[in-house]
Amino acid sequence: MALYKINLEIMPIQSVLDPQGEAIEVSLKNLDKIRASNFRVGKKIEFKVEAPNKEKCKEITNKLCKDFLVNEVIEKYTFTIKNEKK
Amino acid sequence: MRKNKFAVLNFPGSNCEKDCHFVIEHVLKQNCKYIWHEETDINNVDCIIIPGGFSYGDYLRTGSIAAQSKIAKSLKKYSKQGGTIIGICNGFQILTELKLLPGTLLRNRSLNFICKEVNLVVNNKSRFTSKYDHNEVIKVPIAHAEGNYFVNSTIHKELIKNNQIIFSYCDTEGNINDSSNPNGSLNGIAGITNKEGNVLGMMPHPERVSEKVFGNTQGLGVFESILDFHRN
Repeated sequence: MALYKINLEIMPIQSVLDPQGEAIEVSLKNLDKIRASNFRVGKKIEFKVEAPNKEKCKEITNKLCKDFLVNEVIEKYTFTIKNEKK
Repeated sequence: MRKNKFAVLNFPGSNCEKDCHFVIEHVLKQNCKYIWHEETDINNVDCIIIPGGFSYGDYLRTGSIAAQSKIAKSLKKYSKQGGTIIGICNGFQILTELKLLPGTLLRNRSLNFICKEVNLVVNNKSRFTSKYDHNEVIKVPIAHAEGNYFVNSTIHKELIKNNQIIFSYCDTEGNINDSSNPNGSLNGIAGITNKEGNVLGMMPHPERVSEKVFGNTQGLGVFESILDFHRN
């Protein structure tokens, strides 16, 4: 068994209103000389997975995302896998 | 007459369980017990109430961690067998995370926690609302930060077609419009059932307006309807 480090990024899908992103954008009018827009607020989750190989680790992580960590009605996700020394 | 058996689920962070329990035992005079989320036995119960609150501190997504608890498997089985489940506020959020109801509850469009009385128009074609007139307008309080119901357009059409939308936010005349929508919910949806009609999720709190002492008993009809369904 090997240990893998997962960096998971979860973002709201485009068709979903992101009120946090909007609130950030609205508050920007108080900051001079900064032109920034299209804010979307998501989250990042880090964790470790034990698996026999990288392929199996990917499978486990996808299952974990779909069953628990991500709500695919409103969110999409990407992740990276890195080998971790045990 | 046989007393009905209700059960109120309890998660760490639930905070409306006693209100629901009180209404069932002291107003409706039926039996009611608490079920802790680590239990698995939910047999011999006519109706399960998933109360409001902030289960697990609303971590990750509202209701998502409660949906992973030990009792989840039993709840899904109970639902499949046609058992009556009502989820109120956080209970509604938990039911969507359990995938017993479609869609999800997003952050209110104002980003504020909203606590106020709202008007609801009632679709009485369900086991949860048979005691109301069809399209009756009732006043019930809401208290939530994530009550903005969202679902994709295909499922939304199905909800309409199958008569699954049970409560909608409206004005005093029963008109569903943007100004009477407190949280940005799709088409003012405040409560839906599953396709089979045995599971209801609603953001407003009927248990908070079920006794005369509160000056409003318009929520009691929900619990009376359930009672009526199980008596027949």
